Amino acid sequence: MSLLSLRDVTVTARLGGIDVELLRRVSFELAAGGVLGLVGESGAGKSMVGRLIAGLLPDGFRVSAGRVMFDGADLLGQPAAAVRRLLGRRIAFIPQEPSAALDPVRTIGWQFGQHLARLGVARGMRPARAAAALAEVGLRDPAGVLGRYAHQLSGGECQRVLIALAFCSAPALVVADEPTTALDVTTQATIVALLRRMQAAHGTAVLFITHDLRLAHDVCDDVMVLYAGDPVERGPADRLFTAPAHPYTRALLAANPRLTGPRTMLRALPDTMPGPLAFAAAPGCRFASRCEIADPACAASPPVWRLVAEGHDVGCAPACQAGLRRVAAAAMPAPANAGVPVLRVAGLGKVYPGGWGRPATVALEPVSLEVAPGEIVGIVGESGSGKSTLARLLVGLETPSSGTVTLDGTDVTAANRANDARRRAALQMVFQNPQSALNPRHTVNQLVTQAMEVARAPMAARHARAAELLRAIGLSPELGGRYPFQLSGGQRQRVNIARALCATPRILLADEIVSGLDVSVQAQLLNLLLRLRDEMGVAILVISHDLSVVRYLCDRVLVLHRGRMVESGAAAEMFARPRSDYTRALLAACPPDPLPVAEGMPT
Amino acid sequence: MILRAILPRLLAALMMVVLVSVLVFVMLRQLPMDPVGMSLPPGATEADRLALTREFGLDRPVAEQYLRWGAGLLRGEFGVSVNLRRAVGPLIASVVPATAELVAAGLLLGTVFGIGGGLVLFAVRRTPWEGVGDVLTSILVSVPEFVWAIGGILLFGVWAHALPFIGRVDPQNVVAARTGFMLLDTLLAGRPAAFADALAHLALPATALGITLAPLVTRILRSSLLGVIVEDFVQMARLRGLTERQVLTRHALRNAALPTLSLIGVQAGFMFGGTLLVEVIFGWPGLGNLMVTAVRSGDIPVIQAAALVYCLGVLLINLVVDLAYLRLNPRLRLR
Repeated sequence: MSLLSLRDVTVTARLGGIDVELLRRVSFELAAGGVLGLVGESGAGKSMVGRLIAGLLPDGFRVSAGRVMFDGADLLGQPAAAVRRLLGRRIAFIPQEPSAALDPVRTIGWQFGQHLARLGVARGMRPARAAAALAEVGLRDPAGVLGRYAHQLSGGECQRVLIALAFCSAPALVVADEPTTALDVTTQATIVALLRRMQAAHGTAVLFITHDLRLAHDVCDDVMVLYAGDPVERGPADRLFTAPAHPYTRALLAANPRLTGPRTMLRALPDTMPGPLAFAAAPGCRFASRCEIADPACAASPPVWRLVAEGHDVGCAPACQAGLRRVAAAAMPAPANAGVPVLRVAGLGKVYPGGWGRPATVALEPVSLEVAPGEIVGIVGESGSGKSTLARLLVGLETPSSGTVTLDGTDVTAANRANDARRRAALQMVFQNPQSALNPRHTVNQLVTQAMEVARAPMAARHARAAELLRAIGLSPELGGRYPFQLSGGQRQRVNIARALCATPRILLADEIVSGLDVSVQAQLLNLLLRLRDEMGVAILVISHDLSVVRYLCDRVLVLHRGRMVESGAAAEMFARPRSDYTRALLAACPPDPLPVAEGMPT
Repeated sequence: MILRAILPRLLAALMMVVLVSVLVFVMLRQLPMDPVGMSLPPGATEADRLALTREFGLDRPVAEQYLRWGAGLLRGEFGVSVNLRRAVGPLIASVVPATAELVAAGLLLGTVFGIGGGLVLFAVRRTPWEGVGDVLTSILVSVPEFVWAIGGILLFGVWAHALPFIGRVDPQNVVAARTGFMLLDTLLAGRPAAFADALAHLALPATALGITLAPLVTRILRSSLLGVIVEDFVQMARLRGLTERQVLTRHALRNAALPTLSLIGVQAGFMFGGTLLVEVIFGWPGLGNLMVTAVRSGDIPVIQAAALVYCLGVLLINLVVDLAYLRLNPRLRLR
């Protein structure tokens, strides 16, 4: 018998005056000690499943149908207090943002003490129990950690504390909601390893919620894929990722850049996942509008579940099963990088002086690099590696302590008005978070032509230029009158890119521009960057912590570690034969690719 | 650690005191006031005037006067009141406890009712009662304190005869001033009836003083709580099985207290200034009344000293609030 089972669970909320089924007939079984992955893009309803189990759905959300059985009892039929008694005891949670999930004004020891008190541990025993729990999750100096506050710990340490908190009641079920998303690559690997070790040691069942397919494949026994509140496919992780049956699962995998094998163009799904109000009216398959093999019947008839293989079933409208189109993988465009370098960086470094008895901080040891026109160069590193410092030095937000920056043959190192103008003309930055990088009170037309503000260009000229730019980045010029909050995350990031292109720079600096975006939107943006490079000949410096993104985009790569360049060279060479220990560690920390998907394989 | 936190703040406060003293000193001497002339009897001669001017040192250059005054301060001498012919130091010392008592009571009332109101408004969030609370706090904020004072006198004093509204205590209840704080003195004298009387006298002025603080505290606490309650660590506490009440008392309140505390710190400074009006209205024998009398009679030494004491009071409250903030917010502490 399974520990947790959901049977046809539907969650309904009243949004904008209509009832919307935010989760539709979700069913799965999680056996004791098993690991089930819930995979999907943001807004698919993954986290809602966790909140539903905890009985903590937001106000106005209700379970309108189905049963949630935990340990032989129906959770939905019980009073809230009874479900709450299970939380932190039989059911524990591990959160997405570890640093934010600990109370900032209470010590770790205090928070542990509260939890242990609730578990009935005698006061005198609590410090020892807490220290033992922290030792079990591999924290050095557990006693010291107990006296500290969340802000004194790193993200990885905070997550270890939270894992220790979760496991100290020996729960039967742990719900881990994106537990490594906010962490660096190598930290992510150690946390995942820890989670698996704890899971195995305690025989705990884990519900693993993630948007990361690679990670789900690596961690989970079984996986269920959600799309817009609909489960679309479920099965053993190995099968699901090697022989996916649902067009959406296939599309997700095809949109996910790989770390091994030949580099081919990603096939990006058009558009984005519909929001709740859009799919409320769709009685049939919610994926139909983006599905390449959908027929008119799909949008009208609800998906039908059928078994593909032992333990592997797929929910798809009957018509969809007619056959899957066979699409040959498109080859990557060849880079046309030749000629005089547009950017030449020689010995560029940054040292923050100490003072008051503190030693100086070396943010970046001298780095040299050249970027040819139309070349895409990746800068890889974890937090604290100096990659953001390098970016800030290049755009002139910081003054270097040493070295020179040469753009198009002109030395622009010295900070003065003329150099700033040259910099702005030749090099533009795309910021990581469009939400905060775009002024919320400007229209898209104003935003993308901000570069023309200084010259006091007439509004008509700006609108004309805005229309050109929007077309270039694949948005309809009709969006020009909208404000950022009226755009989707992917559209916002496109606007962010268009803005950088306004002054036709020779080189773009893209700082983590796809982190936090969903796989399908990420693929659209990555392909957009490649197209812009081919059409405009613009060189691109890609700053990213995601190695698969770097491998997909870049011709050459620079690896930074603790402010020092540890490796640089051709991307293909680096991924095939990494030379530095750190690069090898980075690559090893990435969950491996699922086996190649045979395109159009009949199922 | 505490010392390292206090020391720079003390230094800054010291500089502030010096600055304020210079400012007050120089400004008062630019005013067209003639304290000597005002304090002389009608039949005084020109020679009397000169003699008195010399006695007070008012014939010296301003810089020299300041230095002499400053040197006096360091010895604990605040000069002599031109009008009352009494040493300013003891004069001020005799009235400061009255004002301090008033401010403390006002702060206490404002904070307690403010926090209570904030919790109530938070509890009724997203219900129709929220609008009622908003209107009430708006009224409380927008009516100035002297109007509350006069309204209170009319309602509870004149019509209902429920509360006294002149002075600190009824004449038959006067006790020996040991600390100067009436509530303490009546207790030390072992006279509960006098204590109750002092408390009754304090009720109206303290309420008038605190009534503008309470709605501000209410609003900031409510909005801080609304901000904190959606934070990850609060959700995480719920997921560990804490009830809403436990989440509130163990995690949300302490985090929401931080912005509330800074607000109280700022408002406490204003409240010190607000005592002036309230003291005059309620005939409260404190620093404010002394100051008003001194200004009327151009009693420069008293004005100077009173201004300095006001400054010190505000700085002291700020220091206390700063330290409390430091205590509550580990992120600001030195590592």
